[in-house]
Amino acid sequence: MPDHSHTAPPSDPELRIKALESLLVEKQLIDPDAVDAIIETYETKIGPRNGARVVARAWVDPEYKARLLADGTKAIAELGFTGVQGEDMVVVENTDEVHNVVVCTLCSCYPWPTLGLPPVWYKAAPYRARVVRDPRGVLLEFGTRVSDDVEVRVWDSNAELRYLVLPQRPAGTDGWTEEQLAELVSRDAMVGTAIVPAQGAAS
Amino acid sequence: MNGVHDLGGMHGFGPVNPEPNEPVFHHDWERRVFGVAIAGFGGGHYNTDQFRHAIERMGAVEYLSSSYYEHWLSMLETLLIERGAITKQELDARREQLSREAK
Amino acid sequence: MAVVVTKDFVPELVRTGGSTRVHKAVAPRFRVGDHVLVRNIHPEHHTRLPRYARGKRGIVEHDHGVFVFPDTSAHEQGEKPQHVYSVRFTARELWGPQASERDTLRLDLWDDYLDLVV
Repeated sequence: MPDHSHTAPPSDPELRIKALESLLVEKQLIDPDAVDAIIETYETKIGPRNGARVVARAWVDPEYKARLLADGTKAIAELGFTGVQGEDMVVVENTDEVHNVVVCTLCSCYPWPTLGLPPVWYKAAPYRARVVRDPRGVLLEFGTRVSDDVEVRVWDSNAELRYLVLPQRPAGTDGWTEEQLAELVSRDAMVGTAIVPAQGAAS
Repeated sequence: MNGVHDLGGMHGFGPVNPEPNEPVFHHDWERRVFGVAIAGFGGGHYNTDQFRHAIERMGAVEYLSSSYYEHWLSMLETLLIERGAITKQELDARREQLSREAK
Repeated sequence: MAVVVTKDFVPELVRTGGSTRVHKAVAPRFRVGDHVLVRNIHPEHHTRLPRYARGKRGIVEHDHGVFVFPDTSAHEQGEKPQHVYSVRFTARELWGPQASERDTLRLDLWDDYLDLVV
């Protein structure tokens, strides 16, 4: 197995990527406009608002929800969310008995088409190391307390299946539209570190 | 490989400390690393497994003491050289040139 | 054979991605409900079998179908397509008797990572 030996400390990442990119462009191995388009897509066009729409649809339409749980890829594709790092989706449902939370201990695997790019905490050592062993402790850091009579189910995304948590629809949302419901769904609720809180008349 | 990336269950990393409302990219160089990496993947320079393994081969100390997109940058430098898209000499020369120009 | 991704191709690249699912009839080694023992392997090459699961016992909950095997794919040794299963582990199996008696964890494990417990 070839070893990449490091004889000098890594220099400034800005310099390094500039050197790399300029060389690749010169050799016509990459198209800088394509690079710009990729950046723009993931920085501005794809994000957790997509997943929130999936969740809201499942909350209002029980048949959609059934399809979503049976074949996540296909049902999510009905709303137009497909592609890179979301090719094989599994949706896991929170219930009164089960609270799901997702991680990738080995790197940072995350469902990009529905949630966008993952936040730093998801990709960093503390979360990856701890949530598989002490999920309740990690959830408490996010202000989420799971009752002892509920099973916490951790999904380590070590293969190419990507996981999306379907949070429970909160109380106090009867008659809400899909758009209103989608507004409530946070990224963290779809990773499983948060829940969608009950909506009350008194705040 | 039994690398340090295989973090599940390890102790000692401290609190998760989520940053509220964080931006997608924290620095412009991160954007460029991301874009180039995806363009490289889309162009077939490497597959996802090679991508990950290149990061796993970074070395434990470097892995833990660098940021996420520095891992991707290391991957690009490793794979593009290993797979013959560029040479180490070319890359070093370009870095040196840019470094001189920056002064 | 590498190509240059152009700006015009980016939307399609993003939308299509690159699933590693293999549409070939490959016989599964396990069925839902099987008790499995995760192999105690320590390859120096690329693997997606985390150390915390090696040597642990779980139950096959779901067969995801056939996928490229990363242990070979990372090293230009072919796709070696095989089934990937969602395997359930109890927290106590992974982390010892002090762990929660209720909580569980699931990993997606390839055929080559598992043996049947009879």
